Amino acid sequence: MSAHLDPIFESPLGGLSHEGNISIHDLTKRHRWGLRGKGAAETLRIQGWDIPEQPNRLVASKNETFVMALSQREFWVLDPHNDTAALAMSNDFTRDAYPLFCQSSHAWLVLKGCQTSALMAKVCGVDLRPEAFKVGDVAQTQMALISCIIVRHELAGNDVFSIFVDQSYGEYVLEALLDARREFL
Amino acid sequence: MKRLKNAHFGQWIDPSQTVQFTFEGELIRGLEGDTVASALLANDQWLQSRSFKYHRPRGPLTLSGHDANTLVQTPTTPNLLADRLPAEDHLTVTAQNYTGSLHFDLSRLLDWCGRFLPVGFYYKAFFKPRGIWAWWEPIVRKAAGLGSSNLSVKAAYNDKTYAFADVAVIGAGPAGLNAALLAANAGAQVTLVEQEPHLGGSMNYHAFAGDCETTKSARDILVAAVETHENIDVLSSSTCNAWFGDHYLPIIQKSRLIKLRAKQTILTTGSSEQHVVFRNNDLPGVVMCSALDRLMRLYGVVPSAPVVVLAGNDLAYRTAFSGQDGGANVAAIVDLRTTCNNTALSDEAKRRNIALFQGCGIYEAKKGLFNHGLSQVDVHKLAERGEVAEKLVSIDCGLLAMSAGFMPSYQLACQAGAVLSYDDSKSQFKLSNLPQGMHLAGSVNSVFSLDLVEADGRNAARQALSNLGVAPESETASAEDVNCTEQVNHPWPFLKHPKGREFVDFDEDLQIKDIINATRMGYRDIQLVKRFSTVGMGPSQGRHSALPTARLVAKTTDRTVHETGVTTARPPLMPEPLGLLAGRRFHPLRRTPLHHRHLALGAQMMPAGSWQRPAYFGDPKQRTACVQAEVTAVRRGVGIIDVSTLGGIELRGPDAPEFMNRLYTFGFVKQPIGKTRYAVLTNEQGVVADDGVAARLGEHHYYVTATSSGVDRVYRDMLRWNAQWRLDLDIANVTSAFSAINVAGPLSRQVIESAGCSVDLSTEHFPYLAYQEASVAGIPARMMRVGFVGELGYELHVPSPLMGELWDRLLTSGEAHGIRPFGIEAQRLLRLEKGHIIVGQDTDGMTQPDEVSLRWAISSKKPFFVGSKSVDILSKSPLKRQLVGFELDATSPQPKEGHLVIRNGDIVGSVTSCEYSPTLKKIIGLAYVHPEDAVSGTTVVIRTDDAVHAHAQVVETPFYDPDNLRQAL
Amino acid sequence: MKIMTCPLNGPRNISEFVYGGQVKAMPNSQNVSDADWAHYVFYEKNDVGVVLEWWMHSPSSYWFIAERHNATDEIIRTYPADELFKQRVDFVPDEGAS
Repeated sequence: MSAHLDPIFESPLGGLSHEGNISIHDLTKRHRWGLRGKGAAETLRIQGWDIPEQPNRLVASKNETFVMALSQREFWVLDPHNDTAALAMSNDFTRDAYPLFCQSSHAWLVLKGCQTSALMAKVCGVDLRPEAFKVGDVAQTQMALISCIIVRHELAGNDVFSIFVDQSYGEYVLEALLDARREFL
Repeated sequence: MKRLKNAHFGQWIDPSQTVQFTFEGELIRGLEGDTVASALLANDQWLQSRSFKYHRPRGPLTLSGHDANTLVQTPTTPNLLADRLPAEDHLTVTAQNYTGSLHFDLSRLLDWCGRFLPVGFYYKAFFKPRGIWAWWEPIVRKAAGLGSSNLSVKAAYNDKTYAFADVAVIGAGPAGLNAALLAANAGAQVTLVEQEPHLGGSMNYHAFAGDCETTKSARDILVAAVETHENIDVLSSSTCNAWFGDHYLPIIQKSRLIKLRAKQTILTTGSSEQHVVFRNNDLPGVVMCSALDRLMRLYGVVPSAPVVVLAGNDLAYRTAFSGQDGGANVAAIVDLRTTCNNTALSDEAKRRNIALFQGCGIYEAKKGLFNHGLSQVDVHKLAERGEVAEKLVSIDCGLLAMSAGFMPSYQLACQAGAVLSYDDSKSQFKLSNLPQGMHLAGSVNSVFSLDLVEADGRNAARQALSNLGVAPESETASAEDVNCTEQVNHPWPFLKHPKGREFVDFDEDLQIKDIINATRMGYRDIQLVKRFSTVGMGPSQGRHSALPTARLVAKTTDRTVHETGVTTARPPLMPEPLGLLAGRRFHPLRRTPLHHRHLALGAQMMPAGSWQRPAYFGDPKQRTACVQAEVTAVRRGVGIIDVSTLGGIELRGPDAPEFMNRLYTFGFVKQPIGKTRYAVLTNEQGVVADDGVAARLGEHHYYVTATSSGVDRVYRDMLRWNAQWRLDLDIANVTSAFSAINVAGPLSRQVIESAGCSVDLSTEHFPYLAYQEASVAGIPARMMRVGFVGELGYELHVPSPLMGELWDRLLTSGEAHGIRPFGIEAQRLLRLEKGHIIVGQDTDGMTQPDEVSLRWAISSKKPFFVGSKSVDILSKSPLKRQLVGFELDATSPQPKEGHLVIRNGDIVGSVTSCEYSPTLKKIIGLAYVHPEDAVSGTTVVIRTDDAVHAHAQVVETPFYDPDNLRQAL
Repeated sequence: MKIMTCPLNGPRNISEFVYGGQVKAMPNSQNVSDADWAHYVFYEKNDVGVVLEWWMHSPSSYWFIAERHNATDEIIRTYPADELFKQRVDFVPDEGAS
């Protein structure tokens, strides 16, 4: 099954599979970075980012980016339109805000289409239907037996799910999603 | 038999469409909408299977999948219920559990010698002399088997999905439909689960109050409202197979398992009709009243032979009348009671010219010819409770429909902790002690008349809504009065016969005497009776046997049924295929960024913990040669290995040194920046839990590696400790953010230099155990001088997305130096030659540092590290074992991991690692030995395969390069 | 499957959580007796009643405290660990610490 899949870091940007009602996109190479620490929120605010008021929420911020709060003190800045990967060693930090490694550590997949909630219900135990999981909601949970972060947000006018998983599971999750999608094709 | 199709009979069939399938090789014609069982009955094929123990002929009993009398098999699947299996074209169905043919089962002889097979026979007969069971087992298993599995069938694609509801309603009969509708009208999201393909439950087949038309039109209105309601999700042909904590309901819908999480559960699961226990009550042609109702009303099959109804309650009269309305020849009603509750019913029986025998029972049923139903039943007068008096008459009939009462379908409620109790005076059940958020309605709640059942359903919905904080629509808000007094259970439906064969449990072929004998042997407790006699253990899980067993046990032990109780209900409700539980079979395996490059290089991959890693590169037929060539490359030239699976933890912040000091055994506060240090972790018990290398990157910055399989636990423990200590630092698991390779061998320096390196790699500038940050081939890398494999070597940790490029560049620049990728088999051998332990392989859950000679890695000057106190305590007692290196001649039998070390006939330890070393030309290994033997030169005995003793010599480690000169080059 | 409410992530299937043992106060390892230390390491409260436990929400690596009744298995309350552990813990160093 894996034969037609490119390695996760080398899959063509902007679309792995456009078949059927649900398309799956690989945004792993798109720009993202994060901060964690007691001063993380303040640091971001000073830099002019809009940040969510609550953990496990995402808001749109400047320059078509999103800021996602995973706790009171951990934030990811997602920049889906920018190809510049942030691959620094993150050796520069202050005791208030430590840079995160989310560019290197996670794969970023996007699910677009009209039956994405039904598809996700086949792999994830959290209620992701639109009435229960609204735009801007973030779930740190498990899908297909592994840990993940799932977000519902708008992207280029579409209601999409962004899914972040440990990059070493990237291809596995992709295969699980493609398999789960078969009944919707 | 003839078929009838009108508004009330044959509701589920379509006479315009025939289906054809084979049963036992014979072509059977049925109609669209038939089940296999109903189509067979329409063809007068009553015999459909053979019983489990005596191989007695069996036919449908409930026609609702609630009995095990219709277990059949298709070429791919065993143990299907014929009364649930839709009849479809081209289906090939066979019966199960016979020798020879279904009609002339050679094993039916077992029935005639049944008196030699008393209850508990298997326990008593096959255990002496010792070991005899091994001889008997295959014979017994074959005779007592159910269907046979076809092992060549490829597993079907099974699916799982999660679902969510405010209210789950289980059972779409009159109570369930009303409950679902009221809750949905109030705005709740409802999921309604129904086993049958059509909604309506008993309203589809039972003639409530004798008026089919009223019931039918009420049903049509309800079903239409439910099916079109946008707040109701209808799951038909679906079984809710269990209740798990917090309303987690596994629902089987064909090949999909739906895991429904509800906030409230309403059980409208109905009840199981109970049989009368008399001689030959298991013959094909003896059915429940509801089965006759279903046969005629749902499938339009009209019995051609005369029908007798055996009544234990008023409801059975309705079956007789409805059957007659459908064209059946109802010859008689035999009532176990002396009068009806509603005397109008006996008047109507007379008006309909149905012979009525009150205060009577059936003493014996007699088999018909061939596959058809019965030939005759004997009607006897009943005297006192349980006493059979004189015979009145024999009635010719082909079919006997019986009803001794109804047992609530209590299983889901009891799985949830509810208690089933029984009122002996009214013969009525009650379920109490329901968990939070569970409600009952309808006949499971012992409510039987239609209007009350419907009101009960609405009441349950009102309670559920109230728990949810949702108000019902105002006109339906107030609770209705439901006070059901109708007695449906006959208190003593037993007619004991001197020749026996009055079946209590059809699945397990248990008769009255079997249960009584079990109690006489001292098994008074219902649970013990079950285990000794196996009553209720068959596929129908006591739906019909639980109540008669409880009554018999109660009577013979002079207790009430209430005191006796019933056995525990456990999931699953119905047998479920294991494939459904397996679902789509997720096998999460992690891949490094180099995975596809390894495959392209011919790697033989193996699972290592959660990862897939190359075992070695090359042809599996040449495995040993491949591994040895990889070893040689590292020892003489240069090798490269993907170690991305190594755990990585980043500790940053002012308290990072203090935290390191508390977690690991060594001192880290004074570790110089730019140096690495071996880091051992003990747990609170003082056991070696993990190890790695700690690099100090800055005053407040450490990068620590951990074992591939241990890093998640180490990371977790670190977070938990700091949740208590509240030190000022950030702890990050960067295992996936960084990927790593080890370039090892005398030529490794040249390879990295020729790829282009921003730092001076000479020993003076970059000595053994140093750490540097550098750019290699233009890629930012964390570099460590390491010596795991005992040669000059560099570990390069780079951001994972850049690893592929670094690998390519190093292979290119290494080509001139003969660089060779190596796998974990070579690495294990290389490190063994160096005597390095692998935590988890050479240690176990009891290994203390002294046993593996790690005292040098423990600082005694620190006030505390996790495990420090336990290590202190342990070190006061003498060691019980010690890990040592040993060697053997190349010609000796080679010990394997786990082989035992024997000393004076006692087991003192075991081998943890052992390989043939091509470098040293001998077998080397690590083993736990008695501490007195842990002296170089001692001979220890290792018990190898086939109990061959190998005499190994304890030697100092490292085996190779004992002065560790090569790694420090 | 049971539901547990994570103070950070809300109600979730219990399969998302990792049990971390009972919350126990660590004795001062420098002056505790061997027997008392062994008791701390190996013994847990096992009489019927409410126990205080460490639990971790695995996908977010978030540790918290749960009060659970060990007979009914009812989870009475969950809350962040800093409600219980409010301040920094230090160990008194011996002389000549490394």
